[in-house]
Amino acid sequence: MVDNNIDFALKTNNVYVHYGNKMAINNVSLDFPKNEVTSLIGPSGCGKSTFLRCLNRMNDVIDNCKVEGSFIMNDTIDIYSNDLPIESLREKIGMVFQKPNPFPKSIYENVAYGPKIHGITSSKSELDDVVKESLNRAGLYEEVKDRLDDVATGLSGGQQQRLCIARAISIKPEIILMDEPCSALDPIATAKIEQLINELKQNYTIIIVTHSMAQASRVSYKTAFFHLGNLVEYGDTSKIFTKPDNQKTNDYITGRFG
Amino acid sequence: MTNIKKRLNSERRFKFYGQLGVFLSLLFVTLLMLKIFTTGSGAFFRTTIEADVFFDPAIMKVDKNSSDKEIERASFEALADSVVNNNFKNLSEDEFIKVREMFTRRFDYQLRDYFLNNKNDFNKTVKMNITASSDLDQIVKGNYPRNVPESQRKINDYQLAILDDLTQQDRIGSTFNFWFFTNGDSRDPETAGIWGAIMGSFYALMVCLAFAFPIGLFASVYLEEYTKPGKITDLIEVNINNLAAVPSIVFGLLGLGMLIGVFNMPFQVPLVGGLTLGFMTLPTIIIACRSSLRAVPPSIRHGALALGATKTQTTFHHVVPLALPGTLTGTIIGMAQALGETAPLLMVGMVAFVMEIPGGPLDPATGLPSQIYLWSESAERGFIEKTSAGIMLLLLFLIVMNLTAVLIRRKVEVKW
Repeated sequence: MVDNNIDFALKTNNVYVHYGNKMAINNVSLDFPKNEVTSLIGPSGCGKSTFLRCLNRMNDVIDNCKVEGSFIMNDTIDIYSNDLPIESLREKIGMVFQKPNPFPKSIYENVAYGPKIHGITSSKSELDDVVKESLNRAGLYEEVKDRLDDVATGLSGGQQQRLCIARAISIKPEIILMDEPCSALDPIATAKIEQLINELKQNYTIIIVTHSMAQASRVSYKTAFFHLGNLVEYGDTSKIFTKPDNQKTNDYITGRFG
Repeated sequence: MTNIKKRLNSERRFKFYGQLGVFLSLLFVTLLMLKIFTTGSGAFFRTTIEADVFFDPAIMKVDKNSSDKEIERASFEALADSVVNNNFKNLSEDEFIKVREMFTRRFDYQLRDYFLNNKNDFNKTVKMNITASSDLDQIVKGNYPRNVPESQRKINDYQLAILDDLTQQDRIGSTFNFWFFTNGDSRDPETAGIWGAIMGSFYALMVCLAFAFPIGLFASVYLEEYTKPGKITDLIEVNINNLAAVPSIVFGLLGLGMLIGVFNMPFQVPLVGGLTLGFMTLPTIIIACRSSLRAVPPSIRHGALALGATKTQTTFHHVVPLALPGTLTGTIIGMAQALGETAPLLMVGMVAFVMEIPGGPLDPATGLPSQIYLWSESAERGFIEKTSAGIMLLLLFLIVMNLTAVLIRRKVEVKW
């Protein structure tokens, strides 16, 4: 599983997550290769989304959620260290949610918000550039360049999701977490997002939770299969989908359960 | 077959009960409105008596070059007496008093106000419509019966004869009673106005808003966004809901005991009245704010948090602006409720006889509902129509406020 030639953006070790008394993640260790796409797949309730949310500490807002284990970014930064403000962590690890959740403000405001609060830009023209570049990278600029001041909730679902991606990359994170980003979209919008993921991986490490095995096989380099809070199998996507080592993985990808 | 018939019958029956309920409630509202309007509409008009007024230099002891200050100090009281004597010749002393009673006691003020605006009428005779006394006004409007023994009438036989005489000469008129909208309270119904009470209520509501809105907003933001659910939060929640149901007179007692008793704040002033109304409105505002904060989808918060916004940034950049329309609506409805509350005003003394228009929250004042209460308690027949007219204005303000709340909600409603 460990390949010494690969740079890892994020290494996790012995991760346990509890919701109250209920165990959601049971001793998972996963390393995510830099500038590649890693898919987390598994049946509903298997803990893949929980695990993803540990990576930018979104679980912290859930009251009775307890996270244990080590999360090391770029071999140096401990994500759960008290010295690292959660806000700085999320500047480095962005997130795109299952349902497009643009702020009910203008398209421009949506993308400009992150750079503004982090003080990334020092002038209005610089901010304009960041907004333009982010929208461009998200493949949305051409579609919305004439109506940047329109309210973002008026966009179509697929456009909204790409706007959320633009919003996530506006603060130049190193890692982007995507929690089933296409589950609320139609096939055409989904295709666009997948194409976008392929382009984005040149600059970002992407970790994506998906229900669609076809999507996992199309976009990702590595795939991790979760079941009942356990990491069942982790490896190259091509291997997982063709000859998995584990019988459960085989059953799942062939549609026998899940 | 019988079963379906039974079911359909019961369906029809329940529909009928519902319609009956709606009809009855509409009927009562209509009757109430009808009563208020028929009683109160008279207050918007006042009866006048046409009289020749000679602005006599000998009596006034001023001339048209005198300053306004000097004119204000001139003896318009004596001028009014001369007007009575000139228009009704050869009155004995007793008859003079009776005729003078047919005019308002503020006769002199009316002459003075006219003269200040028409100084060129100095040393001339002009026809003026002088406001009649309230008792005469009520007789003319038909609110007092005429065909009862003299001892049961406010207007005696001599005055009635003069009235009939004047009516025949077409000198009894009616004019729009703008005094009702511009004056403060008065002992005389014909000059009593509601403006003092409106300003009193206005200052009290401003104090109430300035006190209750920020506290309510921050309290609800803290409870909704920052606290973790638990026993203490539950306890606070239950208490807030209980407070919202506490009778207003209890808040009145709180205002009396705490603000006036402990903090030695003055009696009768809108500041204290407003704070007391604020205590009462606070739970309403907190409940409304919390429910509108809760209506903001968590995905908005997650979106901002995932971008690295702090909790405070998330709250004040995204959640509060989105909750604001609901917050404002709740606040306006709370204010409307406060506007109509009488008991707290009674307890803190905003129910006194105040003639002056309050110039600020520290001047003695009454409020709109307490003014209505005061008038309804008055013995004078002329105050009955004032009471209804006051109620009409109060209802108008309530309707305007509630309508504003609805419009705000419609206008800024966010679609997710």
